[in-house]
Parts: sequence; structure tokens; C-alpha cells
Amino acid sequence: MSSGSSPELPKAEKGIIDAIGKLGEKAKLIYAKPNRIKFSVQRDDLVEVARFIRDELHFDHATNVTGTDFPKDGQLEITYHLGSHDGGEELRRIILAISCRIPSNDPKLPTLVNEYPSVLYHERETAEMIGCVFEGHPNLGRLLLPEDWTDIPPMLKAFRLPGRLEGE
Amino acid sequence: MVAQELESQQQQQQPPKKGSASLHSHEGPGLNILVGKAREVIQQAIVDPVTYLANWGRLYSLWPVHLETACCSIEWGAVSGPRFDAERYGILEAFGSLRQCDLVVVHGTVTRKMAPRLRFIYDQMPEPKWVIAMGACSISGGVYFDSYNVLPGVDQVIPVDVYVPGCPPRPEELIDAFILLQDKIRNSNIKKTS
Ligand code: SF4
Repeated sequence: MSSGSSPELPKAEKGIIDAIGKLGEKAKLIYAKPNRIKFSVQRDDLVEVARFIRDELHFDHATNVTGTDFPKDGQLEITYHLGSHDGGEELRRIILAISCRIPSNDPKLPTLVNEYPSVLYHERETAEMIGCVFEGHPNLGRLLLPEDWTDIPPMLKAFRLPGRLEGE
Repeated sequence: MVAQELESQQQQQQPPKKGSASLHSHEGPGLNILVGKAREVIQQAIVDPVTYLANWGRLYSLWPVHLETACCSIEWGAVSGPRFDAERYGILEAFGSLRQCDLVVVHGTVTRKMAPRLRFIYDQMPEPKWVIAMGACSISGGVYFDSYNVLPGVDQVIPVDVYVPGCPPRPEELIDAFILLQDKIRNSNIKKTS
């Protein structure tokens, strides 16, 4: 799916890709389809790219934050899905995803709470479900898991239910 | 002779008239049940009248806790509503204090996080108290049996009296469970608390 801006893409998507293209190496296009665009960024550039997208492209809120475990690569992928409320009709239908791969043995990522306040709870949930530490987040306490949870984060592939599933 | 009688009976039964034959065939087993019940009642009332009276009082005034944990509670709504109307059997949904309740109907999925609360609710209720586990989820975890967050069966935290399988169970099944529970209460010993 590593196509560039394919000819049938609508104008708004092309505009976004061109604008982010100005960042050069910092943001790499992963796919671009009508209504869906995904970029990957490095851990150190995340805040800068997020600020650029918010200020220049009018993507003013984050709809969710997800985490994926890639045990073969030894990496976690944290993805922010961004949307736009007041960017006009064209932007409103687009979901812009920016993803960041971080090593599993050092799962740290700078928080985007200051850029997108709505990620407050999403980051908290991602932190407890996949074990990623969002540095600078005001409160990464327990949110959904039971208070007495002592196992590894349940969305990691290495997680096994006690007594239910035998090894793979 | 017997065969002739049978034939004549069949001939009488076949036309669905409001004749005496069809009424009679309906009355027979009904009367037997009535006599059996009456004997049971009289026996119990004579052997241990205190137990009988206490159980009689308990079994027609079951007050369930208002605790809706998952989607099974929709069927519970139907059961308490006017169409199925569990109140006919003496099950009245109480919205007061837990101290006035004596029945927990666990409505489906109980998460690991909810489990201590469920136990807490159960512990706050005065004896005697009964539990109905409603739906596949509360019996065994149901479709979430291998989830990290769902309790595989509420009988791990509280003792269950009646299990109602189904996803969700029909209101009739739940009413059946109430009647089973009432049977259990009727035949229970008051000195031994549940
Ligand atoms: S048994 Fe079915 S209806 Fe009941 S709580 Fe579970 S999933 Fe929902």
C-alpha cells in the first residue's frame, strides 16, 4: 500500500500530502486512500509533526489513540487518529493517522496532551492496555483494568489467560 | 367392551365441542395435581408449621436487587413489564435499600472489576438471600469466556441457586427460574441459612 498520491485521490487529500511533504524526512507516507491517510513519524519528531498538522492543516482534534504489538519486530506501534471540526466540508470527512513505532523494551513516547487535549483518556487507556509510557502525561493511573491487576498489559501478544489457552 | 368404550370416548373427543368429555379430560390431571399439592401443604404445615409459614412468607415476597450488569437486563425489563409481569409470582423489583432485598439476579456479563462490587452487594443483604445467574455470560463467561476482563462464571464469587441458560434467556425461562427458586424455598429448612 505504499503508493504515493495516486491520480484518483480527491483534491483535499492531495493537498494534505503535499503539505506534509514539506516536512521532508520527518513524516513518511504509508498509505493514502480517499478519506484515509496514514503517516509514520519518528519518536523525536512526533510533537513537532503534530503541532504542524494542528496549526497548518486545521486538524483540530484527536478521535482516538491505538496501540499495536509487533512481537516479531520487537516494536509497538502507537497510532493517533486526527480529525477536523472546523476545517471545512472537505477536511471533515478525512481521518489522518500518524503512527509511531517504538521499541518494546523501551516503550516511551512524548504525550500529545498539550497539542490535542482530547487524548487525555485515550493515552491513559493505551498506556494500561499496551504498556506504553506517555512522558509528560498528567495522570497515567489505572483506568479500565481491575485495581488488583498484576499481569502484563492484556493487549500484548505475549499475554496469556491464566489456565485457559496453552502456548501457541 | 373396553375397546368399545375407548372408541366411543374418542368419537366424543374428536369434535371440539364444549361437551362434557373434553371438559372432563382436562379436569382429571388438574384435580390430581391439586390433591397432591394439598397433601404436600398439609403434611408440611402439620410436621413443621413454623418452617412452613416462614417459607410461605418468603417465597411470595422476593425483592430483587436492581443491578444491571449487561445486555440480559433488557429481558429483565420485559419480565418486570406488563406483558410478562413477574409481579404475579411475587417478584417485585425494589428500588430501595439493599437491606430490604433478598434476591440477586445477575444480569449477564460480570467483569473482573465488577466482581468485588457484586460480592459487596451480596454481603450487604440480610439473610436469607438467593441468587439467580441469568444468561450464558454469568454462568460461564459466555461469548467472553476467554477475555482477560470477564469473570468465567459468577459462582466464583457468590453462591448461585438457579442457573438460567440462554443468550439472552426468554422471559418465560426467567419466570420458570423464579418458580424453581420458589420451589427450593418452599422445601428449605429455615434454621439453615443459605
Ligand atoms: S448472555 Fe448474551 S444477552 Fe446475556 S449478557 Fe451475555 S451476551 Fe448479553
